[in-house]
Amino acid sequence: MTRRVAITGCGVVTAAGAELDAFWRALMDGTCFIKPLRGFTAPDMQDLVGAAVELPAADALPAGTDSDPRRARCVELALAASRRAFADAGIAGVYDGGRVGVAFGTTMGEERQIADLSERVAAGGAASVDAGFLMRSNNQRLAALIAEQHDLGGPVFLTATACSSGNAAIGAAYDLIASGEADAMVAGGADTFTRLIYCGFTRMSALSKGVCKPFDKQRDGVSFGEGAGVIVLEDLERARRRGARVYAELAGYGISNDAHHITAPGPNGDGFVRAMRQAMEQTGVALEQVSYVSAHGTGTPYNDLGECQAMQAVFGEHGKHVPISSIKSMIGHTNGAASAIEAVVCALALQHQALPPTAGLSDPEADFGLDFVPNKGRPARVETCFSLAAGFGGHNVCLVLKKVA
Amino acid sequence: VTLHDDSRARVPIVATGASVLTPLADDVAALVAALRDGKSSLAPAADLGGADASRFSAFDATRYANVRGMRVYNRATQMGICAARLALNDAGLGVEGGAPLDGLQLGIVTASTFGHIDTLLEYDRNLITLGVQRTNPTLMPLGLPSAPGAAIALAFGAKAFSVTLSDGGASGLGAIGLGARLLAHGRARYCVVVSAFTLAAELIASAKAAGMLAPAGELHVLDRRAQGTAFGEAAAAIVLERADDARARDKAPKGFVRAHAATFAGSSARRADALARACRNALAGSRVEPAQVALASTSANGVPAVDRAEAHALLAALGDSAARTPLTALKGNVGDSMDTSGVLQALCAFEALRSGVAMPIARFEEPAVAGLRYLAQPAELAPGCALLTSTSDSGACSALVLATRHD
Repeated sequence: MTRRVAITGCGVVTAAGAELDAFWRALMDGTCFIKPLRGFTAPDMQDLVGAAVELPAADALPAGTDSDPRRARCVELALAASRRAFADAGIAGVYDGGRVGVAFGTTMGEERQIADLSERVAAGGAASVDAGFLMRSNNQRLAALIAEQHDLGGPVFLTATACSSGNAAIGAAYDLIASGEADAMVAGGADTFTRLIYCGFTRMSALSKGVCKPFDKQRDGVSFGEGAGVIVLEDLERARRRGARVYAELAGYGISNDAHHITAPGPNGDGFVRAMRQAMEQTGVALEQVSYVSAHGTGTPYNDLGECQAMQAVFGEHGKHVPISSIKSMIGHTNGAASAIEAVVCALALQHQALPPTAGLSDPEADFGLDFVPNKGRPARVETCFSLAAGFGGHNVCLVLKKVA
Repeated sequence: VTLHDDSRARVPIVATGASVLTPLADDVAALVAALRDGKSSLAPAADLGGADASRFSAFDATRYANVRGMRVYNRATQMGICAARLALNDAGLGVEGGAPLDGLQLGIVTASTFGHIDTLLEYDRNLITLGVQRTNPTLMPLGLPSAPGAAIALAFGAKAFSVTLSDGGASGLGAIGLGARLLAHGRARYCVVVSAFTLAAELIASAKAAGMLAPAGELHVLDRRAQGTAFGEAAAAIVLERADDARARDKAPKGFVRAHAATFAGSSARRADALARACRNALAGSRVEPAQVALASTSANGVPAVDRAEAHALLAALGDSAARTPLTALKGNVGDSMDTSGVLQALCAFEALRSGVAMPIARFEEPAVAGLRYLAQPAELAPGCALLTSTSDSGACSALVLATRHD
């Protein structure tokens, strides 16, 4: 029989903070953390903006992990969020470490290792390639270092589905616990600012000229952020027996692929539709039971339009009663971390019985009659959440989180 | 997919299509024949500092697939697309006169850690030297780690899912396990597990600087003389589906994916124990006793620590059966193709189980670790299952059990 899966620990490192209470309050207030960036540059680009993380000293990269903490920024964020989630779950020593694993996702992961190498080779020639590059440029080390940090010996793997990577990792972790292959999993995603992303989005005219405005008629593109989100998943029954705080049940997920274009989303939000419908089929959740949708909501014209169309296709008239919001309006698009952070947000929404807003919304996309939770969070009865994510290449994943009685 | 307590995961999963692209051969039977004959594609590569490498110089994408936009993709992506096409064709699915392929029922799992890296390096070099405005913008999305998988899914209209697993040498077996799990849970009807590895100069240079490479002509796997590895280009793909679906369309399976299990040990000193645990979990998940293992296939690559871990893991997992279970490894012939190796191992194991003959370990003379039945020559196999193992440098361990029957 399939085991039920609980979320018992949450950890984030974001521009809105790393303490869950402060993070949640900042989101509910609709505070925007997208600002001029210091300490990160990209060739030929001036006045970059983004939502940067100020890590508490306690979260700094452990000595010896990398000789250059700036270069290893993604690892630093991943380790910090996982440490916080692990502590939040109170799971240390509870399980046989061999039955606990790590599923982690990233869009670009260790891209800074590539940038670092390019600069060294440009200055010093091919001899600048060092012995550690092969290991450091391997994104799997994000998952591996988390496992080492917590002395875990279960399945440890890295999923890459571009900006839905966090959700893909969480979905894969869910399957392992549901099937009994693991007792608990640490799952999430991390990404930092990379010049590939900034330069690429600039050339595609997909970078917002100011601050992103998801679901606003004036939206003009993405604003980026950095960060990491991690959740601890356990067998629900065992979590209950040990008296763990259960934020939510992860009831299952849906997954789809657009197969349409290497960057552009599929037409009419079709991929989102199939992911949401599969999520409902797999979990037995009826559309009337859905209380909230955490949108991918990047602020690009095409993504947001597709998401609205998908809401209409899946929920029909009922869609007007299903609030949908995008926290990317506050902490930027954190790429592979985004959906993992948003899973934490859904867990907190279920815990606090409140919904985070879409900030900066002044002229909402009105054609679909959707409730975007404009500008300020609000109390709400929250029973079941969908957390939607999409990535370049057409990778869509929809998680289903439910309140546990 | 350890199958022991999830009723959904008990759904038997079969392989119905297979392909390989290596310098030795571009079909599975020919590759296995070459391996049985002890052939090797390794040769010194001047552009890689004289290190041995296996390079598929004759690869020409247009020979294998006519896919729109192929030219913009890097070599690994092209090889992956071609391998997927050949495997779908072999499975009789909609490519060349086969059954119509419903893209909504097709998923792709790609095992790729570095399949994007030459594009990413090129993009970054251009940013530095040419600036943003003169850098080809189409390179950017293709520089993502997920890009090869996305391009393969796009090429075949795969709308069920596309997931990339980036776990180094453990990716291939892990991807087969993930694909089988997604099928068992009803998320697609067909899944192509595909992988391609190409020789990126920066990676080879780093491996050389780390002392990982064997001197030219000295790649010895599982052998006392082992002193390093050599890398090899390859692509491989396998089509998985539920046994009932294959039966319904009268497609004879190449074999069954019985169980996959994964573990981890960051410390190389604990790697053998972790891999042994993965083997035991996979055997338990497939309800197979060590004595029923007809063939063991390892990802040993000539790096002494890696080879020792694989050997000690098999000794521990197979117990009393270790000394009589034929043991093979293919990297001595075709080099280490990282993520792709696991898929190659699986295809060769299916062929070995089918033909009843196992291929030997190239140039094997004297074991580094005693107690196992290393094959220096081709050997006949008893009926049974195959146990496949692999590890990554980061510490991921994977074990897969394959069989020609589902008991």
